[in-house]
Amino acid sequence: MNMFRELLKSPQNHLVEQAVSDGRIPIGYSCSFVPEAFLMADRLVPVRLHAPGVAGTEIADIYLSNFICTYVRSLLEFAVDDRFDLIQGWVFVPSCTHMQRLYDNLEYLKKPAFNHILDVPRKVTEATIAWQAEELRTLADKLSTHFGVDMSDDSLMKAITEWNNFAEVIQSIGELRKKPFPPITGTEFQALLMAALVSPKDLILPKILDFRKEIEQRDGVGEFRSRLMVMGSHLHDPEFIRVIESQGGLVVADLFCTGSIPGFKPVEISGNPIRSLAEHSFKKTLCPRMMEDFDRRLETIIDTVKEYRVDGVVIEIIKFCDLWGVDSMPMVSALRNEGIPVLKLEREYSMGGEGQLRTRVQAFIESMDK
Amino acid sequence: MRLPGLAKDFFKYSLIGYILEAKSLKDSFIYAKYWALIWGSVFKLVGKLLFKRGPMGIIRELRQYPWILQLLGATRLLRRITHGRKGAYLESTGMVIHSIAVTLVEKLEEVFYQPELLLISEDLVPPEIGTAMGLKVWIVEAMGLLLPLINPEADLSFIDEAENAGMNPDSCSFVKAAVGMIIKEQMPKGSAIVSSNMPCDAALASYSYIRKKYGVPIYRIDAPYHFRSERAEKLFVTDLKGMIAFLEEHTPGRMDWERLREICEARNHMMELEVGLWDMMQASPAPLASEAVWLSHLWHFYWFPGNKVGVRLFERLAALAQKNLDAKIPAVKNEKYRAVLWNPPFPHFVDIFNQVERTYGITLIMDSLSYNHHELIDTSTPETMLKGLARIIMQGPMVRHTRGPAENYLDDIFRCYKQFNLDMVWIANHVGCKGAQALNGILREKCREMKIPLLIIDYDLLDPRIVSHEGMMNQVDDFMDNVMKARRPRSMTQ
Repeated sequence: MNMFRELLKSPQNHLVEQAVSDGRIPIGYSCSFVPEAFLMADRLVPVRLHAPGVAGTEIADIYLSNFICTYVRSLLEFAVDDRFDLIQGWVFVPSCTHMQRLYDNLEYLKKPAFNHILDVPRKVTEATIAWQAEELRTLADKLSTHFGVDMSDDSLMKAITEWNNFAEVIQSIGELRKKPFPPITGTEFQALLMAALVSPKDLILPKILDFRKEIEQRDGVGEFRSRLMVMGSHLHDPEFIRVIESQGGLVVADLFCTGSIPGFKPVEISGNPIRSLAEHSFKKTLCPRMMEDFDRRLETIIDTVKEYRVDGVVIEIIKFCDLWGVDSMPMVSALRNEGIPVLKLEREYSMGGEGQLRTRVQAFIESMDK
Repeated sequence: MRLPGLAKDFFKYSLIGYILEAKSLKDSFIYAKYWALIWGSVFKLVGKLLFKRGPMGIIRELRQYPWILQLLGATRLLRRITHGRKGAYLESTGMVIHSIAVTLVEKLEEVFYQPELLLISEDLVPPEIGTAMGLKVWIVEAMGLLLPLINPEADLSFIDEAENAGMNPDSCSFVKAAVGMIIKEQMPKGSAIVSSNMPCDAALASYSYIRKKYGVPIYRIDAPYHFRSERAEKLFVTDLKGMIAFLEEHTPGRMDWERLREICEARNHMMELEVGLWDMMQASPAPLASEAVWLSHLWHFYWFPGNKVGVRLFERLAALAQKNLDAKIPAVKNEKYRAVLWNPPFPHFVDIFNQVERTYGITLIMDSLSYNHHELIDTSTPETMLKGLARIIMQGPMVRHTRGPAENYLDDIFRCYKQFNLDMVWIANHVGCKGAQALNGILREKCREMKIPLLIIDYDLLDPRIVSHEGMMNQVDDFMDNVMKARRPRSMTQ
């Protein structure tokens, strides 16, 4: 387990370094609407952008202001400090205003040689799926021209197959959490998942398979008071989950940007890989930026609560996030109407205020009579 | 407030107060005319309601929409923003306020007497479509913006209501005020809702709640990030067609393309008049300023495009500007600095431009919400009209400034600065407008490079508790002292 946590200590871990020395091309991305499989074609390596251990965002504050979410500010700070020096291309999504302005400020301050915005629509119709497919085609052509990589249908199909195999492994581990006594903690799963997102899939897969073997031998993770689901936006640091679990709330389900529900659903392959990936982008992500997705999100949460025997839901929102901040108002009441206890937590990107978090979670678990 | 204070306040905002201060028979007449016309609109609303529904009907409507009482302060607004203004400039300000009163009364009468035709709409969905379908478009966010013009604290209870219901306090107060009004059930109800992904995340996300609260069908239009292409226009037009089909299914509205053509042609005429006005505004000193530019556009183009009141207003504004231009009469006596206001204006401190024009000779020439540069709508076919409307929305200020690369926002400022021969840029740094705040760093550096004086005023759009009026004026004073090295002539402050 420590191995996964080790991989999260740096924004570019040694597996990324190894990939670069093998002539591969890491592409940084920050939003789940970017299909990872797409960035696995040929020599490309998708690297989820994160800013572990960020201590301050002084420069980013000047450009982005103090009212922009700390995830975005942390990324800009790291970029300005050249801590993403191995990243050879950036792919953003205008998933929210903050991300959009991160792209603008990065372009202004660093002028990356490859910086692209994938214009993902905010609702799903036949016309917007076609739009998304065209967007992916444009990006494929741009990547192909810039890096000389093979973005043909065959190459993409191979990448999709590889990603599907990988996703199947992650899902199989995630499924273990449905058991009455899960063999894996939420903290462990989060470390594994994040490590998987920030590392080349082929290089980390053997380690994940070894870990799966290890946990399959376990009876459980010990005693816990309640089973929780965590949902919300970007959550990278497993410490956040550890603090929740330190109070006896075992995190068995994760429905956030970097979580496994429904993020690791396999790509359903139709004849056209680009079209398959376009459809997949919408299916695998549940985000309030999607204007007509509230009911689907609510249903998914309710289904997950049942499947994973969840006692209560923790909604984590990074401060200044308007999408989750505004959306949580109807979401909290909708979940409570379904009889699901909810704790809404506002937090910063980096771990802080551990004492407060512990107290809030403790009170929440007690309020559920657990 | 004690009795002498109340009496003094009443006197200050009364018609007599103005006449005694103006010391000009002609200006007194102009002011009195608009004072009477505004009250006339109010009496028309009340009289008709009394006639149709009786006294109990009035009480019922006022209990349902208590904020209507705030509108009785409309002449106070007139008083606040006309302070020190004379002649055609005074008249232009009066005209704008009166035109708002007339169209608002028209709208409220639709709410009272034709509720079955009400269409609840977000502010960036083109109202031309609903109107052409015979529906009565009610913009959810409009009252939140209008009420603080009259009473700076009018929205506070709505904002508090939204925050208490769990909305993040740092989100835009424009959205919070609308949501708060809905929570308090003081917003008119309609048979359907149309909303969009514009202009910001908070506005978009708020419609999940609004839909839930209203319990009526909703259609949401989606403007792409990369909106300047044939492909984007095609996608957006398809979306608008989807909206029309949705409205035909869920409301009594039916698309009347001939009616849409009339509306679009009237809108085109309004726009031609406005562009003519802008041409005249390039002259220094400017023939008109401030509300004649920003408030006229904000109210009439966003809610009443093509409405005959708006068309008449722009005809008269253009005539007044021409009159001043021919006679070489400046709107602002001693115009010293020509300014553009970027981002939303200051509804709760609407008289700030009146104050700075008298104090420093700063003249508001243009604002970002008015600053359009799209083509006229081609009304030859339904397809071309929808394409024209799609362009207006996607390339309109609130949308193009929040979409696409930063250049869409930044270069527009510099283009405007050059076009209107300006001396300074004012950024209304609304605390809830995160997208604009995140470009201030770049803007600051670019303005320094280009030697453009830049004032970034921190404030909240609708909540004066965040930054007080005094705090806002202090920021202006500091800028004028430190950057512009301007001295405040004592006579101008009085």
